Amino acid sequence: MRMNIDVKTVWMLKKEIKTVLRSRWLLLGFIISPLFAWLFQGAFLSFIVAQTTEETEMVYITVEDDGALGQGLYAAIQGNLTELLIDPLIEVNRTYAEGLVANNSMPVWVLIPENFTEQLVLQGKSNLTLWVNTGNFRATAAAQRIDAFARNYIDRIQIIRELQVNWYTVTPEATYGHQLAIFLVMLTSVLAPAPYVSQSFAGEREKHTLEALLVVPMSRVKILASKLVAGLLLTMIYSVFTIVGILTYNLSIILRAESLPQDAMQYYINLYTVNANTLPLIFFCQFLVLLCAIGIGVVISCLAKDQSTAESINNLALLVPTMVIGILGFTGSISQYGGIFGLFVMLIPFTHAIVFLNEVLSGVITANSIIGIAYLIGFTIAFLLLGAKLFEREAIIA
Amino acid sequence: MYGAGPGLNESVIITRGLTKIFEKGKKREVVALDSVDLEIGRGEVFGLLGPNGAGKTTLIRVLVGLLTPTAGTASVLGKDVVEDIDYIRERVSLLPQEAGIYERLTARENLMYYGGFYGIPTDELSRRTDHLLDIVGLRQKEDYQVKSFSGGMKRKVLVARALIIEPEIVFMDEPTTGVDTIGARVVRNLLKKVSSEERRTIILTTHDLNEVSELCDRVGILNEGKLVAVGKPSELKEKYLAANLEEVFTGLVTGEGVYKR
Repeated sequence: MRMNIDVKTVWMLKKEIKTVLRSRWLLLGFIISPLFAWLFQGAFLSFIVAQTTEETEMVYITVEDDGALGQGLYAAIQGNLTELLIDPLIEVNRTYAEGLVANNSMPVWVLIPENFTEQLVLQGKSNLTLWVNTGNFRATAAAQRIDAFARNYIDRIQIIRELQVNWYTVTPEATYGHQLAIFLVMLTSVLAPAPYVSQSFAGEREKHTLEALLVVPMSRVKILASKLVAGLLLTMIYSVFTIVGILTYNLSIILRAESLPQDAMQYYINLYTVNANTLPLIFFCQFLVLLCAIGIGVVISCLAKDQSTAESINNLALLVPTMVIGILGFTGSISQYGGIFGLFVMLIPFTHAIVFLNEVLSGVITANSIIGIAYLIGFTIAFLLLGAKLFEREAIIA
Repeated sequence: MYGAGPGLNESVIITRGLTKIFEKGKKREVVALDSVDLEIGRGEVFGLLGPNGAGKTTLIRVLVGLLTPTAGTASVLGKDVVEDIDYIRERVSLLPQEAGIYERLTARENLMYYGGFYGIPTDELSRRTDHLLDIVGLRQKEDYQVKSFSGGMKRKVLVARALIIEPEIVFMDEPTTGVDTIGARVVRNLLKKVSSEERRTIILTTHDLNEVSELCDRVGILNEGKLVAVGKPSELKEKYLAANLEEVFTGLVTGEGVYKR
């Protein structure tokens, strides 16, 4: 009687999973690391919420209006620095301020334009321009306070006048919560499969269990496939706890913001929490990233002489580029670089998962990001095929 | 009668001019097997002897399809090791030289896992597992994770694992290495039983010449990839005018102190 290949594959899959589930540290790693990452962020941002309601921020101001309302608003801001948590307030000309904006080194810039008073008097409305680095929590909070203060000040002087405040962001618009989700999910997903993949390939060779396994009546491709599926299933534990971590993180932000005034509470919740509707998409992108990381891990593990070497090379090969693109993605500027650095960033497969996720969360999907996802999938397939080739060669046991 | 040489019994292993060359870099080559001609009959216990690096492990790896011959041919159970390896693998098992074991599985699970690849029904697999663990004296510890076992106990589990599928041919690369004296005796008795009662062919490598004398019907001595002698231990002693197998072995490997009759 012969067992068919599929049954053998499942047989091996069960053993792979059973072995890992008995490795308490590996299992705990899958569960604890995503929870820890998100709970740490929750605690950190709760601290930030507190900071942005108590800490002062540097604000640049340009007053081009000689009229009473423009000068009056400037004087009022200057007279309420403590209440507005501004320290210092620096008066600069437009050219200088625009230079700071161009360099992404501007926290908050308040521009009271030339015709500010005239428009308020003649048309009943005018514009106050705020440039804000929304990646800077205190700057965002300071700008929000100036916004409310300016409306209140102008309305107090002449109730029929309407001040329109235009916000411009120094970094592309995206909520902090979503940027954080992209950063953490990508960074941790890339590293999650490394312990299992290293153990399952380089580890089996190092412990001399691979040789006997390769003699069983089962093709190497099937053996490889079983290990890949087991890796994917095991890292799904990681994905599930990532979702648990995100929900717990959201809860921690909501609980912290609850004590703030209604507007501020809503503002912080919108800014920092991850929209629950986006979780399936995050899960999908994480799946692609996990699969790609497993493909790269298999290639490295088939070439490395032992498990610890495989794990070290894996971490080194994946962590550095992922940190680079993770941080770029976190600040919202992943696609802005050209030249060799830009090419390097675009060659990293995980870049495209971040760009795609970023675009979907912002509501605009471009053809380039679809091509990028195709590149990520192609890269993954190429590495899985390369891994299969390496697994097939004689040197795998020699 | 066991121990019959080539041509006197059904040959289950035949190699002709079997050569394996490893390329080390672009310029250097290592000849691991050099034109090996060998026949092993059904039910034989055949000992492969040779110093470290002589090619014993390479020969076994070629015969189980882990390595492809560079030249020559090899057939196992009448099938070519390159063309019909799937057929061969259903019927042979291997205990590699440094065979590892899944330490997070229990002794029972290790045996059941390996047997599961061969389509043996679970209840039959369970019966064989009980039987083999009884023989190697590990039945009491069958549900312990193997990581708590000594090196010798692990080796016994591995020997049992190699026999769980009741293979027609068992390749055992140094089966008693690391096993204590009593354990080695248990393993040797098991191999004798498997060979004599079940007529399974056993190819084993070892550095223990007493083990060879006790177990093997015939031996083959490999040196630098060449098969320099094949025969029954008694025949070799007579042929090379040696007092014991150790003298034969040492003489053939070092080229000193043996005289061919």
